[in-house]
Formats: sequence, C-alpha cells, structure tokens
Amino acid sequence: MQADLGIRARIMAPVRAGGSPGSVIAAFSTRKAVRLGILWGYIFGLAIASSEITYSRIYKTAAQRDALAATYGTSKAMSALFGPAPQLQTVSGFTVFKISMALMILGAVWGLLTSTRLLRGEEDSGRWDLLLCGRTTRGGATAQVIAGLGGGLVTLWAITAIIAVLSGHTSNVGISTGSSLYFSVAMVATAAMFLAVGAVTSQLGATRRQAASFGAVFLGVSYGVRLIADAGVGLHGLIWASPLGWVEELQPLTSPQPLALLPIVAFTAMLAVVAVRVAGARDAGASIVADRDHSPAHLGLLYGPSGLAVRLLRATVIGWWIAIGVSAFLYGLIAKSTGATISGSMKQVFSKLGASGTGAAEVFGLCFLIEAILIGFVAAGQVTAARVEESEGTLDNFMVRPVSRSTWLGGRLVVALVVLVLSGIAAGVLGWLGAASQHTGLSFTSLLGAGINLVPPAIVILGIGVLTFGVLPRATSIVVYTVLGWSLLIVIVGGFGTVSHWILDTSVFHHMASAPGLSPNWEANGIMIGIGVAAALVGGLAFMRRDLQGS
Amino acid sequence: MSDPDTALRTDGLTKRFGDVVALDHLDLEVARGDVVGYLGPNGAGKTTTIRLLLGLSRPTEGRAEIFGLDCQRQPVETHRRLAFVAGEANLWPSLTGAETLALLGRVHGQVDVAYRDELIERFDLDPTKKVRAYSKGNHQKVILIAALMARPDLLILDEPTSGLDPLMEQAFRHCVHEARDRGQTVFLSSHMMSEVEALCDRVGILRDGKLVEMGTLAEMRHLSALTVEARFDGQVPDLSVVPGVSAVQADGSLVRCQVRGSVKSLVKVLAAARVTELVSREPSLEELFLAQYGEDGHAG
Repeated sequence: MQADLGIRARIMAPVRAGGSPGSVIAAFSTRKAVRLGILWGYIFGLAIASSEITYSRIYKTAAQRDALAATYGTSKAMSALFGPAPQLQTVSGFTVFKISMALMILGAVWGLLTSTRLLRGEEDSGRWDLLLCGRTTRGGATAQVIAGLGGGLVTLWAITAIIAVLSGHTSNVGISTGSSLYFSVAMVATAAMFLAVGAVTSQLGATRRQAASFGAVFLGVSYGVRLIADAGVGLHGLIWASPLGWVEELQPLTSPQPLALLPIVAFTAMLAVVAVRVAGARDAGASIVADRDHSPAHLGLLYGPSGLAVRLLRATVIGWWIAIGVSAFLYGLIAKSTGATISGSMKQVFSKLGASGTGAAEVFGLCFLIEAILIGFVAAGQVTAARVEESEGTLDNFMVRPVSRSTWLGGRLVVALVVLVLSGIAAGVLGWLGAASQHTGLSFTSLLGAGINLVPPAIVILGIGVLTFGVLPRATSIVVYTVLGWSLLIVIVGGFGTVSHWILDTSVFHHMASAPGLSPNWEANGIMIGIGVAAALVGGLAFMRRDLQGS
Repeated sequence: MSDPDTALRTDGLTKRFGDVVALDHLDLEVARGDVVGYLGPNGAGKTTTIRLLLGLSRPTEGRAEIFGLDCQRQPVETHRRLAFVAGEANLWPSLTGAETLALLGRVHGQVDVAYRDELIERFDLDPTKKVRAYSKGNHQKVILIAALMARPDLLILDEPTSGLDPLMEQAFRHCVHEARDRGQTVFLSSHMMSEVEALCDRVGILRDGKLVEMGTLAEMRHLSALTVEARFDGQVPDLSVVPGVSAVQADGSLVRCQVRGSVKSLVKVLAAARVTELVSREPSLEELFLAQYGEDGHAG
C-alpha cells in the first residue's frame, strides 16, 4: 500500500516544465531543441577544433603554407564550391575555408529539420491541437515554440563557442577568445536563419515533409546563388542575394565584417514574425499551400510491403541520388585542374585522407570519400525508415496479414541494397561524365568501379542498423547515426593528424580503397559485406523472436 | 489440442513485462461461428491477449492456436484465416483510401470485391481522399472495410467502433450479424457493453490478466442476482429478512432489492403485502461487469 502511495505521489508531482501556463510550450520546445543543440554543438565544435589543431601541426613552415595558398587560394572552382579562400597561410584562413561552408549547410539543415519537426511535425501528429487547448492562441503557441527554438540555437552556439575558444587557446593555434566567439556566431548564423525559414515553411506546407522540402529548395537556391557569386564570373554582387552569402560576408577569423549581421538578424526576425502572424491567421491543421486531399488511385507499386517501401521512399531516395550524382559530376569537372596542382604538402594531406594515385585520380579518391559518406547517410536512412514503420504502427498492418517478419525485413533489405548499389553507380557514372567533359582521361570502367567501391561501407552501416533494430529497436536511429558520425570524425581527424590504427580501424570508411587511384580492394570489400550481412542476419533473427515495439 | 470445431484456443497463455503480469495463464476457447465478447477495463490484458493471438508479441508461457494452427510458429498460415481491426488505425498518410484498401487486399490475398464496394457505400467512405485528410472515424472505416472485405473465417476486433458515429456503429453491427450468419467467428474486445450485449453470444470478463467469467449472457445472469423493485400502498414489509434477498434499499413506499436463487420466498412476502407496482429485471451486462469490478470500475 505504501509503495502504491509512493508511486501515486511521484505521478502526481507538480510538472516543473515552464513557470506559468503561458510559457509551458516554450519550456517544452526548449527542452527538445536544447537536446539537439547539445549534440550538434559538439559536432560543430569538434569540427572547428580538428581543423585548427591539425593545420597547425601539418603546415608548420611558411613555405608549406604558401604552397597551400598557391594551390587553393586562386582556384575559382574551389571558391565556387567552398567559398573564397583568403589567408590560407594562417590557421584562421584555413579553418574558415575548410569547414565554414560545410558547417553553414549543416547548420541550415539542422535549423530546418528542428523547426519543421517542432512546428509542422507536432501539427501532423495531432499533439498541436492538445497544446492549443491550453491557455494560448495559435499565434502565441507558435511564438512560444520559436522562443524554444531560440533556446536550442543558443545552446548550439554556446557549445560550439566553448570548444572553439578552448581550441583557439591551444599552442600553435593562437586564435583569440573574441575571434572564436565571433566565428561561432557566424557558424550558427545559418542555423538561426533556417530555424526561421522552417517556421515559415511549417505554415506553408501541409505536412512536415512538404515544409522541409520547401525549406530545402530555398537552401538549394541560396547555395546556387552564392556559388555563382563566388565563381569569379563578375557577379559577386549576387552574394547579397543569398543568406549563405551574408554569412560568408561576416568573414570571421580573416577580416570580420559585423555589419553583415544586420541582414541575418533582420531576415530571421522578419520570418519569425511572419510565421507567428500566419499561424495566428490560419486554422490549426490547415496550410497556406493547399495540399491535394483527393487523388486518383495509383496501384502500380502497391503489391506488398516492398513495393510500398519503394513508393514511400522514392522521393527521398531520388533526392539523395541527385545530390550524389550532381556532386560527383562537379568533382569530375574540377578533378583535372585540381589534380594538376597537387604536390608537396597538399599531397601529404590527400594521402592522409586516404587518397592515392596521381592527378585527377587522386582528387577523385578524396572526393569519393565524401560520396561514401553520403551513401552512408542513405544506408542509415533506410534502416531508420524501417524502424519508423514499426514505431508508428504501420508495420502492424502487414504483421496481422499473411506476411512473415522475414519476408518484410528481407524485402526492405533488398530495396535498401538496390538503392545503395544504384547510389554507387550514380556516383561513378556521373563522376565519369564530369571528368570526360574535361578530357581527364579516366576510363568509364575505372570510375564505375570506384563508384561501386563506395557501397561496402554503407552495407556495414546497414548491417549494424539491422542488428540494432533486431536487438534494441528503440536505439536504431541513434546507433546508426553515431556509427556514421564516428566514422566521419575519424576520417577528418585521421586525415590531418596522427591517430592509432586501432582507432582508424573503427571507421567504416578507413577500409575502403581509394579508387580510382588504387584498384578497389575486393578482399576488404568482401569482408565488409560479410560483416554487414552477418550483422543483418543476427539482427533479423532477433527481430523474428521479439515483440513488436512502438515508440 | 486441435479440434475442428474450435476457432481459437489458448492454454495457460501468459505474458509478463518485467515484474508486471499482463496476462496470467489464460485458458480460453472460442467455437467456430461464435461471436464472443471480451471485456475488461484498461490494462486488464485484452490487447495483450490479441497481440499474442496475432503473433505480434511472444508469450512468456503457454500457447495459442487459431483453427489448430500455432499462432507463434505458423503466423502466416494463421493470418490467412483471419482479419484484425485495431482500436487505433495506423495507416500511411500519403495513400488514398482506395490505395490503402488495394494494398491491404493484395497483401491478404483474399478480397470479395463486390462486398468491398458495398461496404464503401454502407460506411459512406470517400476512397479518393488521402488518409491524412480523413477524420479518426474515417480511418476506422478504412481498417474495418479492409478486414471485412476479406471475408475471413475469424474476425478479431479490438475496440472496432472507436471514433464511429452512431449511424456507422449500426452499420458495423449489421456487418457483424452478416458475418455470424455466414458462419464466421468473431472475437470482439470492447468497452461498449451495449455493443457486446447486442452482438455477442458469449462473453469473457478479464480482470488483472485473469479470465474471471466466461459464458453466455443467460448463464451469467442465472448466476447473478435479479433486481426487484416494488411500490407498496400501506406498510412496507421488511424484505431484508427474506431468504435470498440482499441489498435492500427503501425510498418511501418504493423498495429495491436483489434476489439470488429462488424467488419463491420473496413472492410469498410480496403477495401478503399491498403491492401497487412490481418490476423485476435481469442484470444488464454493464451491471454484471460492474459487479466484477465494483461500482467504481476498479478491480475488486
């Protein structure tokens, strides 16, 4: 009886989230956004620290640094892809060039996904209606969520800044606290803007996916406009037409221009106000861009679980294929010109990152590492989608009909494998097309082989994902993305520093031969495929013996 | 263990989640063609039973059979003979109603197309609409139609009318009667006593994971007290001393009591008094259920 009373007392304990009914949603959203901010803050901070520290260790002499600047500082293609590269002779200039574009895009993706999840995602799930039953209005609730997102942004900045400041103070780096803080502001500026973009697209789109797609299109256009502005074709003024360009114009660590914060702050604030106003003016659950509620039946793929998986995933997968194919094509365009300039210390960097061979083949070796990471994300997405099907209960619709668990999981894995192999082929073929247009001299078969060579690490990720799905289903997403993030981190750190081979071996990308500079190592690939298949088999057996589990 | 006349059978079926016993040695048998109600408050183990029958969860002990097929070892063969309706429909938001029905029909492998179209009419479902645009009631209609259109030998229904309006509830009851007339077996888990009372031949009551009652309504009523209300013109007799009478409540000239067993003694006392009104009735299913759980609905 006493134990029962104890349980009731715990259940009835006052809710501590939020100081008043009017701020509960803000507190609730802050808690969710802060969790994500902490995780990504570490990633941002570690990326900055690894760049600063490894540069200072590798490029010790002025001659080495001058060579680096001569290689990259004048390349228009590199400037278009990654932004301008001033002051490459300094840790600061190198860090900005190496990671700022990546962090800007990651920040934008983080902002967009977080914002659409906490706004349109809550509306999709029906929880938003419950929240609106409290002492708030539609606009007020949206404002509270935006305030919560602000909490997540501050967390992202704070953790990034702490790590950047600590790294800046290490010997040989020598970046002041003020510069590190300002650099951190610049690195999370796109996150702030795209949190606001996501808040607006959550009002426009009828579903979270649609809201995120609108935001992704805006991000793509922003990147494209900035790319043209930085391509050295006399249109640099366009830089002010792109939010990514505004961040670039902050010029952190090199020649700071704090005035460029003005459009960033104004844009963010304006979108936040628009989101609140629109949310207040529309019905809960409705959207500005009308979604088609009716549609003729398209039954082509709806013959079973695997066909349905293809239908539901095709838009996402095609998006990945476009990203992989277009980036491979761009790498093909620059491989010859960049390869011709690789020598000395730059060759050392390429070698440490795993690239082998000479010239264009060596550039492809490095660029295809990025493609391998993208394909790793595709693999992680496939296994996460399978888990979502279980947690949302849609899997039950098959499991109560004459479909065995092995048939369902096997079908999903076949679909995933086909997607991964086609991703590798897309990288190889589009890379060859880009290279062939520049008369690079690399054969179709060598680049196709290099593309297929990207698949085995993704199969390992897929296998580990299925193993987790079978044994600890609720941890599936976190485990696959941790494996991917860890492998990526090891590649970055290992590429610019000295790391024990025991640690390097834990990265799935470390075992991939640097094709086309080297021939694919089919023995290593076979072992990776074997590990992936074995892990998937164990996971599959565990799945067949456990209860189905919701979220 | 298998009996050709048995549709569903469990032997010592038990499910534990850590220290919590969700289902405790359940022995249950449902004959072919029966419509059986399965009652119990939240957390009594109804949905756990159904998930074990469907092979979605693994039993800690015991076993379950459907048409002689082991639910855990032969789930695919079992599922060919049944259809299931959950209390909460989890469908794919981007598919239309028609696409969802086509997919689920193809997966089941058995669809009476004419009956499907008739059900769409009866339940007034717009199949061209996307699932995300459907109300909760319409979600429920989709999975009801998906289950009924397969004309399975066994229908397992877990709160099937959740979210349906009264007209659609009537349409559902009509479908269950049709299924029974066709010889289909129905296993209906529900909180709606009126629904179970109207549809079911037999009823099982679950309490704390244990089956505490199982039988026809007549059998259960026979074992339960009869409620008698009498209004007197003149002196009210003391009924509490009459053998078999209990729970006597007097409100002026109106007396309400319950009688177990023979009513002979009570009739003799009433005949000697001046009775102006006399009403006797069997307990409703709700009263039988509450008698198991106490008036507050908690397990007693």
